[in-house]
Amino acid sequence: MPETIEIQLKKGVLTLCVLALLNRHDSYAYEIASTLSDAIDMGEGTIYPLMRRMQSDGQVETYMVESPSGPSRKYYRLTDAGRRAFEAQTTEWRAFARAVESILDATAQPAAPVRTTEDVTAERGAEQ
Amino acid sequence: MTRAEFMGRLRRGLVGMPAAAADEIAADYEIHFEDGAAAGRSEAEVAAALGDPDRLARELRAEAGAQRWHQEQNPSAAAGAIFGLIGLGAIDILILLPIVFPVFGAVLAVLVSGVAIFLAGGAVLVAGPFLGAPGGVLAAILMGVGLMGLGLFMGGLMAVLTKWLIDATVWYARLHYRVLKPALDNQPQAWGRN
Repeated sequence: MPETIEIQLKKGVLTLCVLALLNRHDSYAYEIASTLSDAIDMGEGTIYPLMRRMQSDGQVETYMVESPSGPSRKYYRLTDAGRRAFEAQTTEWRAFARAVESILDATAQPAAPVRTTEDVTAERGAEQ
Repeated sequence: MTRAEFMGRLRRGLVGMPAAAADEIAADYEIHFEDGAAAGRSEAEVAAALGDPDRLARELRAEAGAQRWHQEQNPSAAAGAIFGLIGLGAIDILILLPIVFPVFGAVLAVLVSGVAIFLAGGAVLVAGPFLGAPGGVLAAILMGVGLMGLGLFMGGLMAVLTKWLIDATVWYARLHYRVLKPALDNQPQAWGRN
């Protein structure tokens, strides 16, 4: 299968992005889809299978809001489990992104590999 | 693609799902089109941004199948989940078959021998005392009960193993869902056959 890494990467990040959006405020599918499809290159339709999956995993729940114009709208909000998932995944993502960044920086400056490595080690030590 | 075309293809793809769930999904996409129209986008634009309705339907059906397996663990739910995920391309059947057949065969063999041992134990238990088994009546009864216990244990073990195998397959496949790229990118290939 081609582009597997890209697909896996986006899929993992997509869940995290939805969790982050809903952590900020409750939202409805169209808003989530249009925000995310602008930010990361993804099909808007993907949001619906994803929302159903997150719902069945107990990370989000829905409620209806009466709309002055037209039918009532389905809103999504995070459950406690969803909030915990958001915190856990955020931590994981930050650590992963920092690790990748430091590797990219190290290869970008081959002239000073020793210092870079030390810096990274120092950073790591400070975190722990 | 117009809104009616998109919805028609999505609806056709959802055939086989419980009607209530399919209605709910269709309603979600209908509202998406309305929101898009309210934001000033044309039907064609919204449909293009949504992606391939056939693939969306497969993904939704696979998710519903996996969900059902987690709720009611019976052979039909298991088959539904596995076939849904195969349809999605999350499980490559050609890679899976050589692994599945031996495992499935082994499980089935142990299961059948478990049943056979259970039946043999029953026969020893019932007939042994009357046929003058070596060691006397008590030995025959104990041996019968023991064999039946062994048969039950083997059957139970295989049931647990089978459930665990299906769980593992569903878990693996859900991990490998592919995210739809915007339909604009793959429109020519995906719709070339129309």
